[in-house]
Amino acid sequence: MIAIANIIAIYRKELQGYFTSPLAYAIAAIFWLLAGFFFVALLLGPEGLIAQVAFRDELGITEPIDVAYEFQKLFLGVMGNLVLFIAPSLSMGLYAEERKRGTLELLATSPITNWAVALGKLLGAVTFFITMVLPLLVYESYVIGAADPPMELWVSLLGHLGLILLAASVLSIGMFISSLTDSTLLAAVFTFAVILFLWVIDLVANRIGGVVGEALKHLSLVENYGNLVQGVLDTSSLFLFASYIFLGIFLTAQSIEALRFQRT
Amino acid sequence: MIEVEHLGKVYGSTPAIHDVTFKVESGEILGFLGPNGAGKTTTMRILAGYLPASSGTARVAGYDVHEQSMEVRRWIGYLPEIPPLYPEMTVEAFLHFVARIKGVAAGDRPRQVNKALKRCNIEDKRQVLIRKLSKGYRQRVGIAQAIAHDPPVIILDEPTVGLDPRQIIEVRNLIKSLAGDRTIIISTHILPEVSMTCQRVAIINRGTIVATNSPENLMAQLSGGSGYELELDTDIETVKPLLQVIPGIRSIEAVIRENFRETRHLLRVMSEPEAEPGRDIAAVLVGAGIGIYEMRRERVNLEKVFLELTTSEKMIEAEKWELSAVYKAEDTTTTISQSPDRVEKQMLEEISEEDSD
Repeated sequence: MIAIANIIAIYRKELQGYFTSPLAYAIAAIFWLLAGFFFVALLLGPEGLIAQVAFRDELGITEPIDVAYEFQKLFLGVMGNLVLFIAPSLSMGLYAEERKRGTLELLATSPITNWAVALGKLLGAVTFFITMVLPLLVYESYVIGAADPPMELWVSLLGHLGLILLAASVLSIGMFISSLTDSTLLAAVFTFAVILFLWVIDLVANRIGGVVGEALKHLSLVENYGNLVQGVLDTSSLFLFASYIFLGIFLTAQSIEALRFQRT
Repeated sequence: MIEVEHLGKVYGSTPAIHDVTFKVESGEILGFLGPNGAGKTTTMRILAGYLPASSGTARVAGYDVHEQSMEVRRWIGYLPEIPPLYPEMTVEAFLHFVARIKGVAAGDRPRQVNKALKRCNIEDKRQVLIRKLSKGYRQRVGIAQAIAHDPPVIILDEPTVGLDPRQIIEVRNLIKSLAGDRTIIISTHILPEVSMTCQRVAIINRGTIVATNSPENLMAQLSGGSGYELELDTDIETVKPLLQVIPGIRSIEAVIRENFRETRHLLRVMSEPEAEPGRDIAAVLVGAGIGIYEMRRERVNLEKVFLELTTSEKMIEAEKWELSAVYKAEDTTTTISQSPDRVEKQMLEEISEEDSD
């Protein structure tokens, strides 16, 4: 009970931190701008989906195409790439800022576990990310609503759940990296590098091949994200994201504990 | 309430503190005094559970600070060297947050936060963002966060550092007002602070406790008797035989000071620890017809004690001349060069006089 109260306390503090931070608004603004641009470009642009469908019609291909579904796949794919850039900037300050300001000393001397702090912080970051995604749903629903026959709701939900799980994984790893340094910039750069590696790991896996390659492929963020976006409810993908999130929280708690012993 | 036994901390291969042992009784204010880098902050951090000790034990209210860290954390309020503040929060929101993570029940929080705000005299700043506060106010918010859950033990690491004299007085009064049934440890390198606020002093130097006692006892113990300074119209050759016979007098020496009037003579008379020969000195001098311009009793102040305890033998040799110069400067009010602590003390006294007006 106390643990939950503590998690909520940290969560609220963290969320308040985001909503009063000019940087967070700037990040959100960039995210919305890029998301809006891709939305228009993918749907209505000269190479966009509408143009392609019109072209098929001209060629006389009569095979039906689910425009709403195809669009969601494309759009969420691009959003996934945006997360790679956006999430490290949301997670960079989670611990680095506390270390720099000396507030970690307050948290570390309060009757609250490292786990509760890490979990509260991650929930705060994920919640802020969700609020960044919410406005996109408004214009996505415009496309999905126009589909005839209507798109199945769970396919759309699964795709967005995938996006949030992907962001949570990246934020969790970013939180751990943030706990290793008191420089926010360093945290962001390192997180970006690590996530980039996890992003392209399937390319590496394809090169290597064999059992190792196969194993690496399962760790790929983009591969597992792709599954969910396509509407494939693959429990192994869900499990992988859950593992990344758990690993991030676990390593954060451990690194903060280790910090006690290393401090000079 | 606080028991520290043979505490040691090693950073890598450098020992920060070594065999630190002291005790603080319930309701006591202990001043933890030492020069910069003596191991004050390290000791405070171990007590607060932020750092683990390399050896020895520390207990707060019977709980081991490392083994039963969570229990200890509930018992203590801690102000680190740098006040831990979130600049984007308002004072009130921050204190509510602290009260929450310190485990204050939801219903009790507004009362506790209001009490802390009132105690630290920052009620009018409750809606102000911390980043807009001045340093003095930030320090007070720092103290407020240490007392937000009304802890029985309060640890304050250099609570007055970087404040102006008026703010220092306010903070000291605040600390005094917190006393009572609470146990308080204050670390500081400023001497007047200790004699003004603390009942007991632990002097730490190079990682070890060199003395623990009340400020008065420490001074008495180390002063080895008090002395008198006399300004007379007769030289020492004439006066010495007269005064030497008075019981309780240990030594008489001339004080040489540049640019002093040639017709006047300065003398220092040292007495035995328990003796109080001032009355007899005056009687003898007056009886002999010697003119007295000034007669002043000197007390060894805490500064001297501190210097004596924190200066090693070698340093004493090397700095003997320098130190004696400092002593001389402090012993007189007529001298031009004054030690910084003295100046600060005077400033404080002036301000407190203003305050009482």
